[in-house]
Amino acid sequence: MDRKNKIENNRIITVLIALSSLFILLIVYLSYFEIFQADFISNNNYNKRIWKEEEYTLRGSIVDRNDLPLASSTQLEDKQLREYHYGPLYSHIIGYNSRTLGKEGLEKAYNKELLNISKNNSINEIKKIMSKSNLNPKGMNIRLTIDHEIQQYAGELLGNQKGSIIVMNPVNGEIYAMISSPSFNPNKVNEDWERIIKNEDSPLINRATQGLYTPGSIFKIITTAAALERQNINTEYNCKGQVTIDGFILKDYSSKGHGNIDLHQALVKSCNVAFGQIALELGQNNLQNTGERFLLNNPISLDINTKKSVLFTEKMSKPDLASTGIGQGKTLVTPLNMLLMTSGIANNGKIIKPILVKDILTSTGKNIKTNETEILSSAISPEIADTIKNMMVDVVKSGTGKAAALSSVKVAGKTGTAQVTGKKDHAWFVGFAPADNPKVSIVVLLENSGTTGGESAAPIARKILSKVLEKY
Amino acid sequence: MKSLFSYKIPKNILISINLLGLLLVAFYHNSINKTTIITVLGLIVIIYLSIFILSKISSGDEYIFLIVSMLMSLSIIMIYRLSPELGLKQVIWFVIGILSLFISYFFIKSIKIWPKWMYIYIFISFLLFLTTLIFGKTIKGATNWIVIQNKYSFQPAELIKILFIFFLASYYVNIDKFENKLMLSIVSFGNIAFLFLQKDLGSALIFFTIYIIIVYVYERDRKFILYNIIIASTMAVVSYFIFNHVRVRVEIWINPWKYIDTGGYQITQSLFAIAAGSFLGTGIGRGYPQYIPEVHNDFIFSAYCEEMGLLTGIAIIMLYMIFIYRGIKITLEQKNKFYRIVALGITSLIGVQSFIILGGVTKMIPLTGVTLPFLSYGGSSLVASFASLGILQACSEVFEDEKEDNYGQEE
Repeated sequence: MDRKNKIENNRIITVLIALSSLFILLIVYLSYFEIFQADFISNNNYNKRIWKEEEYTLRGSIVDRNDLPLASSTQLEDKQLREYHYGPLYSHIIGYNSRTLGKEGLEKAYNKELLNISKNNSINEIKKIMSKSNLNPKGMNIRLTIDHEIQQYAGELLGNQKGSIIVMNPVNGEIYAMISSPSFNPNKVNEDWERIIKNEDSPLINRATQGLYTPGSIFKIITTAAALERQNINTEYNCKGQVTIDGFILKDYSSKGHGNIDLHQALVKSCNVAFGQIALELGQNNLQNTGERFLLNNPISLDINTKKSVLFTEKMSKPDLASTGIGQGKTLVTPLNMLLMTSGIANNGKIIKPILVKDILTSTGKNIKTNETEILSSAISPEIADTIKNMMVDVVKSGTGKAAALSSVKVAGKTGTAQVTGKKDHAWFVGFAPADNPKVSIVVLLENSGTTGGESAAPIARKILSKVLEKY
Repeated sequence: MKSLFSYKIPKNILISINLLGLLLVAFYHNSINKTTIITVLGLIVIIYLSIFILSKISSGDEYIFLIVSMLMSLSIIMIYRLSPELGLKQVIWFVIGILSLFISYFFIKSIKIWPKWMYIYIFISFLLFLTTLIFGKTIKGATNWIVIQNKYSFQPAELIKILFIFFLASYYVNIDKFENKLMLSIVSFGNIAFLFLQKDLGSALIFFTIYIIIVYVYERDRKFILYNIIIASTMAVVSYFIFNHVRVRVEIWINPWKYIDTGGYQITQSLFAIAAGSFLGTGIGRGYPQYIPEVHNDFIFSAYCEEMGLLTGIAIIMLYMIFIYRGIKITLEQKNKFYRIVALGITSLIGVQSFIILGGVTKMIPLTGVTLPFLSYGGSSLVASFASLGILQACSEVFEDEKEDNYGQEE
């Protein structure tokens, strides 16, 4: 009897333990949920709380470097109105803020600052409660590095041509202008959405940071750097207009040939025959090594979405390697990456992190955070950078880039004309000025324009460089 | 006099929670007027009085009613915050609940021959199921409501739960009279099948768990438990493939985001609320629990998590754990076998039901709609919970005169 009772009691205690374990599991599960999953889940568009916060706080403004408002919100009686004052001009930088479509661009990246959301700060909570009766609280303002005057000018110069222009300061990384065309109007993104996503030219893609293009001859800057970095690379060739590599005929742009040519002249005249063979001399590993220091195959972090440039995904045949050396083949690059490559040459071989946001300011104007200059990569030595700089100066003085020359200052640059299978050529120009004391670097890409970089991209670059140098 | 203000006296903590919480929600709704003040003071008097009366008439457990009063106080605060109208009604439900507690308490104590009435429990259960099948209305996906004059609705399953526990208790008290387990199996699985057909999966699960717990403790044939679990698991898997309403629940549980516009709407809104509250909560009146449809019923726990934080949520879970602990303690101390099984059954009922809905609204387990005992808004389930509490209170007392009785003794 006693033993029987004991068994029964033990079983009852087992029931207690089992039930308690269930509840303890529930506590553990909920704690895990709050710590690891809650943030991710809260950002769902079906969570109406996000929009409550938005209605409650007056969304901060986005201004250019001279405090010109580019996007601002006004409080109407029952809702807020977000206005993008220059419509499509900033569609790829600022993005949009839509209830149905979500957020893009800086509106997404800086949402917390624009709404002044700081989590778990009870003082802010109390402030919010106190201010509820008087005025809506205001979000923080974002000051960009963009100069509206230059942005607008670059936008006008590109016009309806598909492509991209980026202008930056190679020394501190500040981006003065970033254009991607075609664009869309963020003020009407909800109404136009169907039309925008059906457009075959993909206006939503920011070509400056996400467009992947064949680089053409501007890639020769990297081949040159790789050749200069290594001893025992033969860089002098006799160019007869074409060369045969394993049965593949590599042609020059002009079939006449450049005759006996050294590395300096090869870059100035953009000689395919010389660079194709230099690439073979270097080999895939050496070229890839230098290319990756110029951030190809590497993610580039910016406040808006970027894509990685692609250099060599597999072991290449000799003809493919030669093509890569002159910027054809399977290599795909973003305009932003090419601008950083150029800025690296301008800045003694050091690539500076590009920035779009200069400061974050409170609604009363107090500066909360300033972005600091940061070195992304030490691509090449200052000596080699200087050598390439001199070559690029001659490209503009006497080579393919004459159309970019300015009378007052020395411009360094490189043109590119990328062949695309089945479509018209892309025209490229990368450059910086003044060559001895670089203040501005630029990339111009005209997608499928069917023209050469020297005749179409270089003149646009010249006008913008001239405009920037007037101001800075 | 000193004891009146001591924080060591549990009922003083209870009163402070009531005063602070109700004051806060009254401010929030800007409704500090005569009605509110009288209601709040009335509520406090009712709690004090019930504790006092209970301590005078019952020699049993003095904590279970305190735990339930705490849960009810929290319930009134939150429901009043969600809707002042429902909040005042919840106070009335509380009063009805306390009345049903005392009624069931005296009713249980006044009758001494409960174990002899096994067939009566079966018969009433069957009758109630039959009525539900004939007159039942479908509310919130389950056909288990009886509606009288379009005004009063109740779920017979709430009463059948208690009858089922009584049946199990009297079966095991009289176990020697039965040669095989046919009776036990038919009645138990018959109950579960009925609930299943009414699409009341939550109640079916509660019945099964109570059945398994009592069989686990009292069945001499240990293999029988194993057979039951195997059969039930097979049936669960088969029903997943056969019955659409089972499959839908499981699929929503696995990925509610896919069905966010339809079947997954309520659970995802609940997760948003819990996520918004984090550990400390947004503060009462500062969150948006009303985004969850029917938040005052099954989903009330998510409202606590949002506005009072997960820490309060954990505190609520712990209140249920203490309740279970007290219930098991009552079971162990009870010498009379019938009351012992009843105490175990009711403890399991409250414990399992709370876990099923707490796990459901937090997406720990598939969601099956049952109410959260003593926290969800009123109705037949609240009255049934209070009636169970009355029975448990009675079970916590010593039944001297029956100690020598044949019931409860084997061999």
